[in-house]
Parts: sequence; C-alpha cells; structure tokens
Amino acid sequence: MMDAVLKFANQSQGRDRVFRATQYACALSIYLLRNKPDRKDLVARLKSLENNMSAGRKLLRLGNAANSIVAAKQTMQLSDRLLGLCLTVANINRALYFICDNAVWAKNVGLIRSINKERWSINASRYYLFSLVMNLTRDLYVILQLMQKKGRDNRFKSRMNQHLSDCPEVAEAVIPELDALIFLLLETLRSEPTVALDTVKNICDLFIPLDRLGIYKSSAGVVGFCGLISSLIGILTLARPTLRIKP
Amino acid sequence: MDSWVRFNTQSQGKERVLRAAQYACMLLGYTLHKSSVATDLQRTISELEAHMSLTRKLLRLGNSVEALQAAKTTIHLSDSVLRLCLTIGHLNRAMYFACDNVVWAGKIGIISKLDQQKWNHRSFRYYLFALILNVTRDVYELCLLLDCEDCYRITATPAVMWVWLRKRIHQIGTVLYNNPPLLLDLLKNGCDIFIPLDKLGIYQTGPGFVGTCGLLSSVLSIVTMLHPWLKLKP
Repeated sequence: MMDAVLKFANQSQGRDRVFRATQYACALSIYLLRNKPDRKDLVARLKSLENNMSAGRKLLRLGNAANSIVAAKQTMQLSDRLLGLCLTVANINRALYFICDNAVWAKNVGLIRSINKERWSINASRYYLFSLVMNLTRDLYVILQLMQKKGRDNRFKSRMNQHLSDCPEVAEAVIPELDALIFLLLETLRSEPTVALDTVKNICDLFIPLDRLGIYKSSAGVVGFCGLISSLIGILTLARPTLRIKP
Repeated sequence: MDSWVRFNTQSQGKERVLRAAQYACMLLGYTLHKSSVATDLQRTISELEAHMSLTRKLLRLGNSVEALQAAKTTIHLSDSVLRLCLTIGHLNRAMYFACDNVVWAGKIGIISKLDQQKWNHRSFRYYLFALILNVTRDVYELCLLLDCEDCYRITATPAVMWVWLRKRIHQIGTVLYNNPPLLLDLLKNGCDIFIPLDKLGIYQTGPGFVGTCGLLSSVLSIVTMLHPWLKLKP
C-alpha cells in the first residue's frame, strides 16, 4: 500500500490534487468556524495554510500550459469529431487559463509590474469556466450516446418495462416518459461510473469560477465544499485509473 | 515539447527546476548586491527566492516516507559497504525531511512557538551526514574501479612520488571519464556539500559560491533525470 501511495505522490498531479483538497478543506473549515470567537487562533492558522497552499500551487502551475497544448494536439486527432472538438477547445481554454494564471503569479511576486492583476485574474477565471463548460458538454454528449445505446439494448428494455409496471403510485409515474428517461439516465450513470464521476467533478468545479466572476455568487462555504469534493474525486480517479474518463 | 511534458509530470522534475531557479536567484542576488545596483530588483529576487524555498518545502512534505522506503530496499544489497553507506544515507535523508517539514510548519504558522533556527540547523546537520555518506559511497566505487584497472595493468611502482601521484591522478581521470554516472554523482555531491557547510557555519563561503554550487548540482540532477542511464545505480 505504501508503494501505491508513493507512486501516487510522485506524480506531479497527485501532489497537486492533495494540496488542492487541503486548500479547499481549509476554506470550508474557515467558513464553518467563522462565527466562533474562541477559535480565532485556529482560523488564523487555517488561513495561513490555505494561502500558502494556494501560492505554492500557483508556482507549481508554471509550465502547465505546455501540457494542455500537447493534450489539445492529441485530442484534435480523435475519430469522433464532436468529442474531439469539445476536448480540443477545452484544452485550449485550459492553456489560456494557465497563461493568465502564470501572469498573475508573476505580478504577485513582483516580476512583472505593469499588468492589471484583477483583469488577468478575471480572464483566468473566464477561461477556466469555458473549459469546464466544454468538459460538461463532452460529458453530456457521452451520456446521451450511452443512453441511446442502452435504450436499444433488449435486456434493458425488459428491465425498464418491469420498473414501469412496478410502482404506479410514485410521483414520476404520472408522466411515464419522464420516469423512463430518469430510469435510463440513472442506469446509464450506474453502469458507467467514469462519466458519472467526471460530471460530478465538473459540476462541483463550476461553482468556483461562477462565484469568482460574480455570475452565481454562492458562499465561501459552498465554494470550499465543492472544491473539496472535486479534489477528492480527482484524487480517486488518479489513484484508480480505471475510474478516469477516456480519452 | 513531449519530453518537457514527460519531465514535468514527474514531481521530482518540477522540484529540480525550482531548485535550480532558487539557487540562480541566490547567485543573481549576490551579483546585484556586489554591484550595488537596483535595490528594488534585489528585493524582488530575494523575495522570489524565499517563495521558491517555501514552495519546495511544501513539495517535500512526505518525502521522509520515500527515504525510509529507499532505506528498506538498500538494506538488502549484497556489498556491505554500499549497504551501510546507502542505508544510513537514506535514514539521514528521512530525518532531514522530517526536520524540514517541521521548519515549514513553523514558517507558515501552523506550529506557533517554534525555534526555527534550531530546527533549521538540525535539518542541515542530517543533510550534511547524508551527503558525506554519499561521497563515501562514490569514493568507494571509485576505489573498486581503480582496483579493477590495477588488475589489468601490472606495472612497477615508480620510485619518484611525484610521478606516481601524476600517474594515479591520470588513472582516476580515465576511470571517471569512462564512468559518467559516477563522475556526475561525485560532482553533484561535491557541489551540494558546500551548502550545509555554509549554513552550519563550518566552512562559510558566501551566497555567491553557495548559489553557484546549488545551481550546478541542480543542473546535473536535471540532466540525470532527462537521461536515466546517467543515474548512478543502485
């Protein structure tokens, strides 16, 4: 087990995800402890830890734009055109996000003085949001494809008919088409955990730039919680590569 | 681009680049200080160096476990000198990482009343012991290779000390030239050793020299990562 932990930690992404999880766990804890005056010391330490993790991760993100550009070159060659388009645009937006993020880092440490930090930070959040939207589009496309395939499967059709005749008093059964659709969706997600995990991760991640850009302001607690969940899912998919969505 | 990506995905790769950048900043800061120019830039460089140092400390969290695992592997080596040097070297590295983690916790404020100077010194002491053991291992490997060389050339010992010394140095040079992994490792450890010697006050050389040594050893380390055949095994 120790070997597996070490192998995980040796990947640059592995460590980054652990730091990210810690960062958002701190943010969540700070939010939960905000109204407790006797825990001010602990809150100060958590804030310091969160800031250090964030600053450290920004430094470690230098050079990640190259990774995304290489990934974009690879996804351009996928056989499924729509999938390739979604992933390529997502990767390009991620690369732009990293470039803006690196510029903000350079401004923070004083290497570049003449840029407007707020504007570059907002742009970084915008590109991050676009890449998440493209990833969600891809997830939706894959789910629809899988649902179509499953709907044509005869074994599934018989299970569906059994389900529809089972509980007529349930609310959704009033609209049998809706009930059938939800059943199909849930069965598809259950049989393909990779897509389900990726969708949940992307939805959780979405709250972070939405809050930052002011499009949908949630509280620091919600952002912290969503960030923590998405980081934990990220750690899970890295530790168990079978749970990672491909490509 | 692909080799950069592969290099980047290894956690150690990024850490080495950061180390090289940190010591480059140290050297640059010293150069600017010597020429008494651009105090603003000097301040930025020293802040950047501190930022990189703290981030590297963050990356080192958990490295003690790695060093202990490495010690568990080297304890099974057949050669007794190698076994001793490498195992104790790894154990010292594990202690260095543990002390370094405590210093990090103190620096960012998780542990409040911490004597940072004391723990810093402790960590550098363990680092120095680990480096001394690494150099011992390098010298041992060199002696083994020289013995092999001597087996093949049975020549009469020259009467003059100076001629004998020159011949020996030439032999060492040839052996090292034919064994690039050993040469690189010896150079790297030789450069690294000046860092704790300076920090502990045993042999103070100044930030310029320390920066140069640190930069050189980081570059050598990056080269061995990019070309794994250059890494000394075990």
